[in-house]
Amino acid sequence: MPRKWKIAIGILAVAVLIGLISLRSLHRRMVRLAETQAAEEQARHEVLAAPISTPTDVTAKAKIFWAAGPDQIAPVEIELPLSADPVQRSRQLLHALIVSPPTPGQRTIPADAELLAFYILPDGTAVADFSDALSVETPSGILSEEMAVNSIAGTLASNVPGLRRLKILIHGQEVETLAGNVDLTGFFDLNPATQQASAAAH
Amino acid sequence: MSHRCENAMRSHTLIFRHDGSWPSGARCGVSAILFAVGNLLRVFALAAGVSAFLALQAVGQPASRQEAPPAETAPQQAPAPQAPSPPPAPSGPLIVLDPAHGGTDTGARGEAGMVEKDIVLQIARTVRAELERRGFRVVMTRNDDSNPSYDDRAAVANAYRDAIFISLHVSSTGTVGSVRAYYDQFDTLIPPAVVAASEKPKSQPLQTAGLTVWEDAQRPYAGTSHHLADLMQIEVAEHFPGSPDTSVGVAVRALRSVAGPAVAIELSSVAAPNLNSLTGSAAPLAAAVARAVAASRASSSGAR
Repeated sequence: MPRKWKIAIGILAVAVLIGLISLRSLHRRMVRLAETQAAEEQARHEVLAAPISTPTDVTAKAKIFWAAGPDQIAPVEIELPLSADPVQRSRQLLHALIVSPPTPGQRTIPADAELLAFYILPDGTAVADFSDALSVETPSGILSEEMAVNSIAGTLASNVPGLRRLKILIHGQEVETLAGNVDLTGFFDLNPATQQASAAAH
Repeated sequence: MSHRCENAMRSHTLIFRHDGSWPSGARCGVSAILFAVGNLLRVFALAAGVSAFLALQAVGQPASRQEAPPAETAPQQAPAPQAPSPPPAPSGPLIVLDPAHGGTDTGARGEAGMVEKDIVLQIARTVRAELERRGFRVVMTRNDDSNPSYDDRAAVANAYRDAIFISLHVSSTGTVGSVRAYYDQFDTLIPPAVVAASEKPKSQPLQTAGLTVWEDAQRPYAGTSHHLADLMQIEVAEHFPGSPDTSVGVAVRALRSVAGPAVAIELSSVAAPNLNSLTGSAAPLAAAVARAVAASRASSSGAR
């Protein structure tokens, strides 16, 4: 083999070696960066998230809509410290809906889902902004998505007076569907009678 | 360049001398040849244009004004070459079958590895064959592992007059073996601006200068779709134990832009013990759909 070919192959081998080493290093740096970002985001949530407990809290009975079998939801009455402020009250209720299902089988909202923001417009429109986990981890299907939405809407309608309708956002954005089927571009009725009828329809 | 050559070029014709020799100067000769070729091409182009115009006149109607034939039904309309008497072409109502999801959108996923997009495609093919056997014309929004957008799926149905849109789904949850029929629940989808500005009844379509808004195309058919979904639910409840007695109104995105009767049917579920238990339900499902469509048409014609 001519000497120039040997030199070329040697240079190429060294270049590949350097590339592999730098690739591993780059991968490690990317993983570290992702971890740092997640930690920062978590810290930001902790700083910005309003406390669930408020000075006006009074322990009261609340109806939380969880799954009552594989294809229906039903209200479960539990005692919760609830704020007099409708926004805080709604946050407390949705927090309970996510973290306190009586059994894992009654869960309608993914455990990783987080309520990022909640506010109420003057016309009675409630806007609930959830983390991506609600969209990513809710099982795809009309029935499962409908149960998820109805559990949120039913819980709010039954415990927070004055709400007319619900808008669900994912990470601050309007999304087309929850998990591929149920339309989230519109509003959901928060009339308690409608919610009772919807739950009974299953 | 000689004066004679300039004149020849100016008149765009090739002129030979009477004695058959070229005009004086090689450059003039080449230019003259180029002009001649150019003229020849122009004559050909003109002739081709006239021919095309005459051909279109002979056909009578421009192709763009003809209704596009359904690609899905074309193969079955072609008569079998050796059949003594070709089967009668389906003449019943047109049903647009929509196997949900597809491509990278798998839909519901079962623990045993079943994915909704594949199951609904298999079911749709069986339902299609069964419906065609019963005389229905059937078009599918997808017949492979593609994933048309919601609007593309609706556009398939909207391209026909009087098409019935049926979106097929398999759920993640629900009593295994049960079937649910859904119609689009529109009351929750009115944007705030419309609520504030309009005092129209909710059953009226949103219209802009005589045009129906694409995202709201289902609204005028809400009642018809609800009725059809109820009929389907009654039919499937007889054959699929555990199914509810009445249909449910849900904001199903796949139905929103369909300008015609549209329902979604969801089988439960990907948690079924095996694939055959789901695909085996296709034939009774097709029978239920056929009966429901027939009943819907009978009731609508009776209402007239």
